[in-house]
Amino acid sequence: MAATSGGFAGKVLRVDLSTGKIGIQDTIERYEAVLGGAGLGYRVLWDEVPAGTGPFDPANKLVFAAGALVGTSVPCNGRATVTTIFPTCWPRPLVGSGHMGGHFAAKLKYAGYDALIVEGRADKPVWIMIRDARVEIRDAGHLWGSGIRRTTLELSQEMGPDCVVAAIGQAGENQAPMGMVINSVSHSAGGVGGVMGAKNLKAVAVQGSGAVRIAGDKAEWEKLIKFHLSILGGNNQHVVPSFPTPQAEYYNPASRWVGQPGRRWGAAKPPVELAGDIYDLNRIAYRTNSAAYFLGGEAWKYTVRGNGCTACPIRCHTMLRVPSVTVRYGIPDMAQNTCIALQFGRMFFKQPGDGKGGEAAIEACMVGMHLADDMGLWSNYGQLQRDLRKLYEGGYLKTRLGSKEYASIPWDKYENGDPAFLLDIIPRIANRQGELGDVLSRGTGAIFDHWSIPEAEWARDRTTTYWKMGHPKHHANEDDGQCGVIINTQYNRDAQCHSHTNFVRNGLPLEIQRKLAAAIWGSPDALDAPGDYTPANVYKAKRARWSLVRKELHDALGVCNWMGPWVASPRWERGYAGDDSLESRFLSLATGRAIDREELDRAGERIFTLHRALTIRDMGQVDMRSKHDLVPPWVFEDPNGAAPFTKGTTRMDPADIALAMDLFYEIMGWDKATGAPTGERYASLGLGDVGEALRVGKLTPESGR
Amino acid sequence: MTSCGTTGLAQAAAEAVREASREPRLATCGDVLAMLLERGLGDVLATPASGRDDEEADPRGVPDGAQPAAAADAAARLAALLACQPGIAAFVSLSGQTVYHAPELLSRTYALILDRKDSPIALVAEEIRTNSRDYPRPVPVKLFEAPPFDLSPEEIEAVLRAMAAGAAYQDITFAATTNGAVYLFSSLHLKREYAAFLAERAETLVLNP
Repeated sequence: MAATSGGFAGKVLRVDLSTGKIGIQDTIERYEAVLGGAGLGYRVLWDEVPAGTGPFDPANKLVFAAGALVGTSVPCNGRATVTTIFPTCWPRPLVGSGHMGGHFAAKLKYAGYDALIVEGRADKPVWIMIRDARVEIRDAGHLWGSGIRRTTLELSQEMGPDCVVAAIGQAGENQAPMGMVINSVSHSAGGVGGVMGAKNLKAVAVQGSGAVRIAGDKAEWEKLIKFHLSILGGNNQHVVPSFPTPQAEYYNPASRWVGQPGRRWGAAKPPVELAGDIYDLNRIAYRTNSAAYFLGGEAWKYTVRGNGCTACPIRCHTMLRVPSVTVRYGIPDMAQNTCIALQFGRMFFKQPGDGKGGEAAIEACMVGMHLADDMGLWSNYGQLQRDLRKLYEGGYLKTRLGSKEYASIPWDKYENGDPAFLLDIIPRIANRQGELGDVLSRGTGAIFDHWSIPEAEWARDRTTTYWKMGHPKHHANEDDGQCGVIINTQYNRDAQCHSHTNFVRNGLPLEIQRKLAAAIWGSPDALDAPGDYTPANVYKAKRARWSLVRKELHDALGVCNWMGPWVASPRWERGYAGDDSLESRFLSLATGRAIDREELDRAGERIFTLHRALTIRDMGQVDMRSKHDLVPPWVFEDPNGAAPFTKGTTRMDPADIALAMDLFYEIMGWDKATGAPTGERYASLGLGDVGEALRVGKLTPESGR
Repeated sequence: MTSCGTTGLAQAAAEAVREASREPRLATCGDVLAMLLERGLGDVLATPASGRDDEEADPRGVPDGAQPAAAADAAARLAALLACQPGIAAFVSLSGQTVYHAPELLSRTYALILDRKDSPIALVAEEIRTNSRDYPRPVPVKLFEAPPFDLSPEEIEAVLRAMAAGAAYQDITFAATTNGAVYLFSSLHLKREYAAFLAERAETLVLNP
């Protein structure tokens, strides 16, 4: 199909920075089977980036991709994936994606493109200007050395106020593997900033005057949008509020739905008092205040408003105004972010000066956000901060760093929880200054390599939360037992999967969760209460598979896996059920081509399997089970010596996890001995060419034996 | 006796309950009858039904100026009307009265909190037990300082002391986390080790985003 009937923009833009050539491809003809987003990125890497390519080689490609639902009115559709050979993957770089929200993805679609593939390397700093059909490679000499904010401002002034700029800061320019790209001021994709820097690509700025066509019936579309809004909860699809309220049967003090009537956005002018119906679909944005959730109730008085991504009513990027940081640290008094990035500064400290929610803690967050989001330094899901703490507290630095460099670091400020410490350490890392700055800028694997520290010293220590391959766990056994473990074995970076944890943490009583689980995954036993784990079973494996497939689907469609899936809801009249077919219903209406849940899940599985194939190819290794799908030792230990399956421990049992992996591989149709897809499985998913190439390379289970 | 169902009076009575739930407030039969009388709709109820046996009536629902027997009769008939109204629920309050609410507007959870607001010990104890039984989880003590509980630290301390001394509350106990937070749970529904685990987990969730 040469032209799109809806959903897809229809074109993929290619920019070769080595030759200056700019080209266009048809999206659907080449990439429809992998939908878009990370699926498209994986396909490009499979087809065009040979095994053994390094992340900073000109032959590596950067695939900025939106999805078919991006730029529509589907809630939470602002996601762009940036797929590449991922530089922090250790001991060898492998495929990975950074993900960013904001408005870059939608603008790319409005300009007429589903994806931008950046190839080669410019011989001098450049930025890419996209204004609908007009695409230019422009000189960025005047921007090189600037932070992201200045770059964004300058390019916005040059292009006009309706452009979106995705830029790197000093970390990316310095080709730090821990560099990130940021669009719309605070929306980052980790780990890919250095790849941009290696290509001499300072920024991509996009203006788009088009729209995304919806092929299906408009009334049906609007009805489905309204329905989706009606099943939204708060941040991370927590479907019950954190406080008892007249309209809610259930509440959960740990819920991220914190917008209780009577609370105020105290730094707004004038302050905004939260009032009215918490279920009002026009007031969903008031449910979430990430700062109040993560930093404590004090943050309400610093809150200006919620900010966020295209068409997302959740607004998880909380904008804060803290005047004292300008006086004390010489930085702007406004900043916004969510989750780890909101806590970037605070997490460096074992204990901020005045406790969790105190002024110093909030100031540390402000200083951290200011520096990291301007210099473009990624946290690797907090591993950067945990690494520094372990290196310092464990005495590694004292014995390994030169005494002069060690003395140059203001450890007294670290010890006192003084946010001024961040003014030293963050630029040190982003600028790759000195031995410590350089090692930390390269990611956790560099710590092992550079200082000859055995990986096991991290992998045995649960306080590091280190998982494998240079990356930490991301919602593993501590949240979801075997399901979390399986998910964390599958990627080459931290898993970034929220399908499972958003369900486990949705706030509903266990019995209701188990009832919903029975309807979706076939048995209430698909789910355990946290820390009350029962042995592995096939339903947990099914849920792990579903979680991974939905994550890949979200990354391919451009909807947010931090907010979805939406299989639970706040609606008591639905028995708190959400809708497991939402994604396929939206895609069908957007494209005008009917696709049911099963078929779309198959597409998700195809994408996930392509990621697996790329990993196998680039590792040159078919035995994923013992060489890739690893679980750190701390998972099999309990600080108090509690046995697995006793109430109150997240300790897993090695034999049970082996069984869980068996069940998972079996459900995936993969070979149990190697954890690799068979040639037949590749073929059945429409990846026959991929399977054949791996067979020739003796990288399928059959050929490898 | 008025038949149950869709009569204008029955619907008006249900609407009166909904109105109270919107505030949010629990409604007794007396409250509903007063609201109906205000609107000129309650006269039929205020008139005694011939041959009715008064012993079913609830004398606490007496409207001003009505004779006790007539009022009791009215309350009983109102109760019968409300019993079969869709979307209206009832329970016996701590005071012994039957109270009404519309769960769509005022959930049972919140209704029970409202009912116990004047009895802090019952309020705290039952909330702890419900959380321990249904979710299951311990609750942070600071929960009771926030709306809708709105207890001061001193009141909470007094409640905890009273429960510690009261035989009926010996299942209510606490677990302290490593960062000093205190969580309350009922040993009828949660074992100490598990409650301590859940409390620790709850306190560290923000560091596991």
